[in-house]
Amino acid sequence: MKKILSVLLAAVMVMAMLAGCTSNNPPANSTAPSTNSTAPSTNSTAPDDQGNEPAGKQYEGVNLTMWSMWNSDEPQGKVIQEAVAAFEEKTGAKITVEWKGRSVNEILSASLESGEKFDIFEDDYQRIANIYKDYTYDLTDMAKAAGYADHSYACFNDTVVEWTTERDENGNVTKEGFLNSIAEQPQVGGIFYDKDAFTKAGVTAEPKTWTEFLDVCQKLKDAGIAPIAQDSAYADFAFYHQLVRHLGEDKITELDTNGGWANDAGAVAAAQEIIDLVNAGYFADGAPDEYPSSQNKIGFGQAAMIVCANYVTAEVNGATGTEINWGLFNYPAVDGGVDNGSAYIGTNSLAITSYTENAQAAFDFIMFLTSGEMDQKMADTAAQIPADSRNTAPANLTGTIETLLSADSPMTWCNGFNARDDLKTSIKSTIVELFEGKFTTGEDFCKALDALY
Amino acid sequence: MKKNKSMIFWFCLPALLSLLIMFVYPVCRTVAMSFFQVESLTASTADWSFYGLNNYLKIFKSQSFLTSMQNMLMIWVVGGVFTLALAMLMAVVVTSGIRGKKFFRAAIYMPNIISAVALATMWIQYIFQYDHGLLNEIVMLFGGDKIKWLGSDIKFWAMTASFIFGSVGYYMLIYISGIEGIPQDLFEAATIDGASKGKQFFSITLPLLKGVIKTSVTFWSINTTTFFLWTKMFSPIDTEQSTIVPVVYLYDTVFGGKGVINRDAGAGAAVGVVLTLIIIAVYVVTERLFRGSDLEY
Repeated sequence: MKKILSVLLAAVMVMAMLAGCTSNNPPANSTAPSTNSTAPSTNSTAPDDQGNEPAGKQYEGVNLTMWSMWNSDEPQGKVIQEAVAAFEEKTGAKITVEWKGRSVNEILSASLESGEKFDIFEDDYQRIANIYKDYTYDLTDMAKAAGYADHSYACFNDTVVEWTTERDENGNVTKEGFLNSIAEQPQVGGIFYDKDAFTKAGVTAEPKTWTEFLDVCQKLKDAGIAPIAQDSAYADFAFYHQLVRHLGEDKITELDTNGGWANDAGAVAAAQEIIDLVNAGYFADGAPDEYPSSQNKIGFGQAAMIVCANYVTAEVNGATGTEINWGLFNYPAVDGGVDNGSAYIGTNSLAITSYTENAQAAFDFIMFLTSGEMDQKMADTAAQIPADSRNTAPANLTGTIETLLSADSPMTWCNGFNARDDLKTSIKSTIVELFEGKFTTGEDFCKALDALY
Repeated sequence: MKKNKSMIFWFCLPALLSLLIMFVYPVCRTVAMSFFQVESLTASTADWSFYGLNNYLKIFKSQSFLTSMQNMLMIWVVGGVFTLALAMLMAVVVTSGIRGKKFFRAAIYMPNIISAVALATMWIQYIFQYDHGLLNEIVMLFGGDKIKWLGSDIKFWAMTASFIFGSVGYYMLIYISGIEGIPQDLFEAATIDGASKGKQFFSITLPLLKGVIKTSVTFWSINTTTFFLWTKMFSPIDTEQSTIVPVVYLYDTVFGGKGVINRDAGAGAAVGVVLTLIIIAVYVVTERLFRGSDLEY
């Protein structure tokens, strides 16, 4: 009897363990990456562009699972919960949100490859387009049917299609790209500044050229305000702007791959201009400081400008308890610059898994969240740029929608420095030293970079 | 007896299966993966292409990996000496009959019950802060110029010092338990014979703690090899050369960093194998150095 009992117990334990290890694999025939989108639903239940309510509950019985990169108590998380409740009420769908936090990118690859059961996920659009492409749904037709292009930013949509385009080694297109994500929280980069500090220093116009920028810096310094805040965490991003102006991103990638920085007049000039800024005392005391110490100096009225993306405005306001009168201008043009117009753009986006069984419902929810009222709520609550270009940006981000709509040559987040994975951190450290004033000339800095190869 | 053996087998089976599935299989897969070119950690073996020792060559040619190994070695040696020596000192002081023993023991151990994230934030935003941090306030009190404690030159040492602060209490507890296990008769006899406290420490306490020291060195080696969170806290947006350690290099290689879309699970697996070999080597060396140190009183 004891023997039978022990065998049964052991068997139960083994079964329980195996049951715990079982994955929720989707049907075998649904794991293949989608190459063709399904035809969009003609009777979608999401509100149309005019905000008209759909008739009936189209998605009654439909269950969707969303993996969010936020936490439920964050502003973004709260708006998502509100959107979920409203969408469920309107359509009858049931949406379960799993709050994965920022580390969602650590599990997405494995989960998508194993066909884990979820329908919608959030991540950086660059990662979605480049890493998860084969496991994402082609949204092209559904977006077209929803008129998405009319209220979104072409710079994101075009870039996604470009990234998902497959080419052979000669650069010929072997497979057309497709829209595989919908922008949710757009970002735009440039020089964010305190308008009141500019007024106090007698600066009446945003600088467009490097000479004008230096003039603004001097006026701010004369007014007792440190012109530029700089944290070491963003030193590479700031210097990247300077390099892009002189060289363009393709040339940076080439130099990053093979070295030869000291032989390039543009790279030397870019470094020299940063050294001149340091020597002129245009950086805030302690810069490059430890994030977020230097950027917070704008909130404390000690510094006026910072090279960053738009989230810096919310971060500074939140950390210092102030409401800075923010302004934004594009990084100044340099003499003889190769690329004097580009600006950083990026976005957290939403994508649908290629193996979802409810693509249209998932898409409609994404549209519901990223357009109209919910998107405005997201922009206002989380102090970010609206994903719907018809909405209004919060006061601290005035002008960002126009910047995104007119962005025809987007700059990446330091992609040129990523060509050599093995040197990335060394290059960044050398750039931090540039801002620390450890190099006498631009040539010295470029030689230090070349010494890494 | 036969019945008992059968029962042992069935009751061991779940644990054995768990071990095989959750430990042995991943280890074998990781070792195998390190010899293949694999982009994604969970890619099907059909997508693997044999790469020989190229993953190992790649990481050992990488400046970032070599720096990360150097940083890890420095944390292990310098951090280890300071942490274990301070822990031993505290343990001896606390067990010496000092008044308020419980308070000191709790106070020294307290950093271990605080989240490492909170602890690191305290060091970064309060103690090392440039404008109004504790250290610079002290420096200025004595008329000195403010120091950039988190500048690229000394950031590594700032991080190591913070890590030591957070680690001492844990090892102190280990030493305290070791010291309290030594029979008091030995100290009483030594005292009667006229041995000073110092003599007693070097001739009784230290030799009899060899086994505990061996354990703490092994723990410290594992802690150092898996060092991750402090680096992430001291370089919050993106990995920096001054604070990079092998596990962070592995993480960036496998998952990609900010704006990085290249992933190389094969190279990441090679880093994992190298780290495992280091831990095994340290364990073997420690075992040999402290051979015969396990004592029973």
